[in-house]
Amino acid sequence: MTGVRQKVVIVPCSGIGKTYGSVSRQAAYIVVEDLRPEDTQLAALSRLVMGDEASREMLARNPAITIDGCKLACATKMVRESSGVVAQDFAVLDVYRRYKQFKPQGISELNEGGEQLALALAEEIVGVVDHIITNSGGKEHRSINNLPERGENG
Amino acid sequence: MPELLEFTVDKFTFQVASDRLYTEAGVWARLEGALVRIGISDFLQQRSGDVAFAEVKPTGTPLYYDDEVAVIETIKVDISLGSPVSGTIMEFNSALEITPEVINQDPYSGGWLALLEATDWVADRARLLDPQAYFEKIKQQAEEETR
Repeated sequence: MTGVRQKVVIVPCSGIGKTYGSVSRQAAYIVVEDLRPEDTQLAALSRLVMGDEASREMLARNPAITIDGCKLACATKMVRESSGVVAQDFAVLDVYRRYKQFKPQGISELNEGGEQLALALAEEIVGVVDHIITNSGGKEHRSINNLPERGENG
Repeated sequence: MPELLEFTVDKFTFQVASDRLYTEAGVWARLEGALVRIGISDFLQQRSGDVAFAEVKPTGTPLYYDDEVAVIETIKVDISLGSPVSGTIMEFNSALEITPEVINQDPYSGGWLALLEATDWVADRARLLDPQAYFEKIKQQAEEETR
C-alpha cells in the first residue's frame, strides 16, 4: 500500500491593500515555490471563506501553517472553522518585532525591507515545516542555515 | 479604572478616560502628585493601528510643550508624539520595549508612555482639552470620516 505524502498547507492573509498582508503572501510564495516546494502547498483564504471542498479536504488531510497580517487573524480563524489543524500560526507584526531592521512598506510592490522581512518569515516557516515533515516520517531536510541566499532563486 | 466616556461609530467604539486632559493630537496627561503621567488616547491608538515599536525619549530629557516625547511605529504609520507638558522625563514605561502592544490593549493604564516633572503645569493644563471637549472633538471627527 502506498501512503499519500503529507504536505504542509500554507495559508497566508488575504488582506489586499495592506503591507503586512503582502508580506504574508510573499513569505508564503517563497516557501511554497522556492524553499520547500515538495513539502508544502498553498491554500487561498478566499477559497476557504467560500467553503471550497477541495481546500477543506486539503486541510482535513494535512497540517496547516497560517500567516496573519493583522490581529483579526482571519487565516488562523478560517482554517480552524474549516476543521483544519493549525500546526503553527505566524503574525507578521510579531515577526517584524524580531527584525526591526526590515521595515516593510509598499503594497502591490514591497520595498527592500518588506522583501527581507518576507524572507525572514519564510525561513521561520521552513523551520516549522521541516519539523512537521520530519516528525511525520518524511524525508530529511536541509538545515535552514543552508537556505539559498536571498535572490539566488531568481 | 477611570470613568469612561464612550461612543460608537460604525463598528468602532471609542473611549475617553475622564480623569485626565488631552492634546488635540490625542496625547493625554494626568497629574499624579508632583508628576504628570502621559500616554495616548484610545481613539489615537485605534486609528493608528497595531503598535510595532514605541520609543520614548530617555529619562532626564528636558522637553518643552509639544516637543517630541515619543515615536510610535504602527502597521499603518509612524507617529511623532508631542509632549502635552513642559518638563523633564523622570521615568519611561520600559514595558513598551518588550510589549509595545500594551498601548493598544490598555492605552489609559498599562500603555502609559512617560512620567514627567512638569515645569509649569498650570500654564500647560490651560492648553489642554478637558475630557468632554476631547470627546466631542473626536466624535465629530469620527462621524465625518464615516460619511
